[in-house]
Amino acid sequence: MLSKFQARAFFLGGTVVFAGIFLILTFDTHRKIPAQTNSEMITPQVAAGKKLWEQNNCMGCHTLFGEGAYYAPELTKVVDRRGKDWIKIFIKDPAAMFPGQRKMVKYDFTDQQIDELIAFLEWCGRVDLNGFPADPPLKKLMQPAAGATAGAGASGELPATVAAAVPLPVMFEQKSCTGCHRILGKGMPGVMLPNAVTGEVVAAPALDLVFQRKTREELIAWISDPQKVKPGSPMPNLVPALVSPQEVEQMVDFLLDLKAHVTPAN
Amino acid sequence: MKFKTQKIAYWFFAAAMLLLVLQIVYGFIMGFARIGMDGLHEWIPFNTARATHTNLLIFWLLLGFMGSAYFIIPEEADRELMWPKLAWIQLGSFVLVGVVALVGYHVNWWEGRKFLEIPRPLDYLVVVNVLVFLANIGMTVWNGKRYTTTSIVLYFGLLAAALLYLPGMIDFDNQTLDSFYRWWVVHLWVEGVWELIMGALLCYLLIKLTGVDRELVEKWLYIIVGLTFLSGILGTGHHYYYIGAPRYWLMVGGIFSALEPLAFLGMAIYALAMAKKGGRRHPNKAALNWTLGSAIMSFVGAGFLGFAHTLPQVNMWTHGTLVTAMHGHLAFWGAYAMIVLAMIAYALPVMTGRKLWDNAASGFAFWLSNIGMVGMTGALAVAGITQVNLERRMGLDFLTVQKEIEVHFIGMLLAACLFLVGILCFLWNFWRFGLPSDEAVHSDVRAAEEDVSTPEPARAS
Repeated sequence: MLSKFQARAFFLGGTVVFAGIFLILTFDTHRKIPAQTNSEMITPQVAAGKKLWEQNNCMGCHTLFGEGAYYAPELTKVVDRRGKDWIKIFIKDPAAMFPGQRKMVKYDFTDQQIDELIAFLEWCGRVDLNGFPADPPLKKLMQPAAGATAGAGASGELPATVAAAVPLPVMFEQKSCTGCHRILGKGMPGVMLPNAVTGEVVAAPALDLVFQRKTREELIAWISDPQKVKPGSPMPNLVPALVSPQEVEQMVDFLLDLKAHVTPAN
Repeated sequence: MKFKTQKIAYWFFAAAMLLLVLQIVYGFIMGFARIGMDGLHEWIPFNTARATHTNLLIFWLLLGFMGSAYFIIPEEADRELMWPKLAWIQLGSFVLVGVVALVGYHVNWWEGRKFLEIPRPLDYLVVVNVLVFLANIGMTVWNGKRYTTTSIVLYFGLLAAALLYLPGMIDFDNQTLDSFYRWWVVHLWVEGVWELIMGALLCYLLIKLTGVDRELVEKWLYIIVGLTFLSGILGTGHHYYYIGAPRYWLMVGGIFSALEPLAFLGMAIYALAMAKKGGRRHPNKAALNWTLGSAIMSFVGAGFLGFAHTLPQVNMWTHGTLVTAMHGHLAFWGAYAMIVLAMIAYALPVMTGRKLWDNAASGFAFWLSNIGMVGMTGALAVAGITQVNLERRMGLDFLTVQKEIEVHFIGMLLAACLFLVGILCFLWNFWRFGLPSDEAVHSDVRAAEEDVSTPEPARAS
């Protein structure tokens, strides 16, 4: 039977051997990480963004590289997913963007700090994470159902040829519309969010053919104060803090003018 | 109790218990926030509650480990503690640093790196404090009348824990490197050197409670901690799959993490075998329950549930979801919280001279807290698996999925109430024992405690 001396030798020997292998792998990893993470792209701006990320304990709610808390979304690819403009507007007043939903702290970041954070997140999005986060494999099975719920999912869009011919005013991206809505081939394909009051999950409709469904007055009233029209709606309250009433009118005019570009099939 | 200076342990345990209650309070704050009741958001946003919750855990477990060391080491070394006054200072300053850190989290002062949120200036104070602790314990061992395996393993566990704190203090601009070395602290603590500490405490308790020969218990201690390091060191790789480290970690981490449950299984079998072998039935059933419970629950929580999401193919989907929180709760509870509670359940009668070991409250404490924790883990498991399927596999929006799984947090809160009642029973007993007393030195309690094992040959110091 094993003696105490042998048991100790097993412990000490095993520890030394495996700690040694671990140190060798660490050395190799430390050497390889700069290439795998594009460390040459870590500008002072990115580094400053990382500091902000830590000083405000963003990881206390979000995950990054899948690490952190699980109270708020994974942010590794957030710049690809939402776009910089959306993030800029969101950080300034998170509660306005997700009315009635789970809250995020409203930080008093300067524009420069927001740019730093975005630069950091953009760098994170380009790191080779060995395939993480993987594309949802069952998403394609979901598409028909999602399209039906959205109502305006695929069918609410202009034909690709027309969409490509009409330039989308930058305002729609800068003011974060494309963070949820799809229009003229740009933006998210029908983001689905729950209504804070009813809990019903609704999809942000494509906006190409909205002129068929709404009048000018309805659209202005809706964008100016969505909660008044439909309490609990996930549509954010961006007016007047982030979008001026004049801009609302410009947006609505553009949406209605799309009518001139198309004669829908039915 | 053999030595007067062992009494200092009582105050470490008492402080640990207060922090445990506070930890539970912050757990409730988060639980309620998750079902939409976030009225405290302005003052205690989720990231504050979360950092406070996890840091309180680390903090009270460390206090528990330190208290256990102050209790065990004099007895194992067969002499009074080297510098009892210093131990008081160390306790006071450790609590002070901890409280400052926790208050800091409420005013946005931290270093938001998961589990290591303590702001840098306080990091240095923690290091100094732990060095003082290690010096005190170390000198007691060094000048002791005998060196036992238990005390040596415990000491080196604590020393290694202190050393491994340092890589977490290196600054990197690269998030991947930052994360890489952060796991040196977090993983190599909880799946490495803390298990040395746990193993040593388990070993001490088994010697005391089962009366099995010390040589035998300590021999197997070496095997268990050997298995732990064999799997646990390279098992660190399971944190390196998807953070920007080379691909070979998927292989290394996958293989060695798959071995990790074996170490925990070994630990559970070891504890049960020793308890079965021990002919002497120690009257302190509560302490034996917590000891064996810890060995078993650490296998379930850390070993089995850890393995459930540690393979790279699975982890690709579960990484960064509530599945991790599920594993985390039962793992910490089983492996570390329960062993500290076992030490307390064992040490209180010895330090106070009161034999309050077999009563209704101690039974309720054990069963309610365990059932509650298993219930919480179950709720988190269902929530986590649902999140994985809806968000990661089907691609639904994060907030939509969170709304879907809200109901499981109601379940979690209910289980947490059960858990809380269990802990309150434990505290009620703690309170009834009263303060430690010098009269307990060599009292009749000691007679029941007589260490029947043969100590290792005494050596000249």
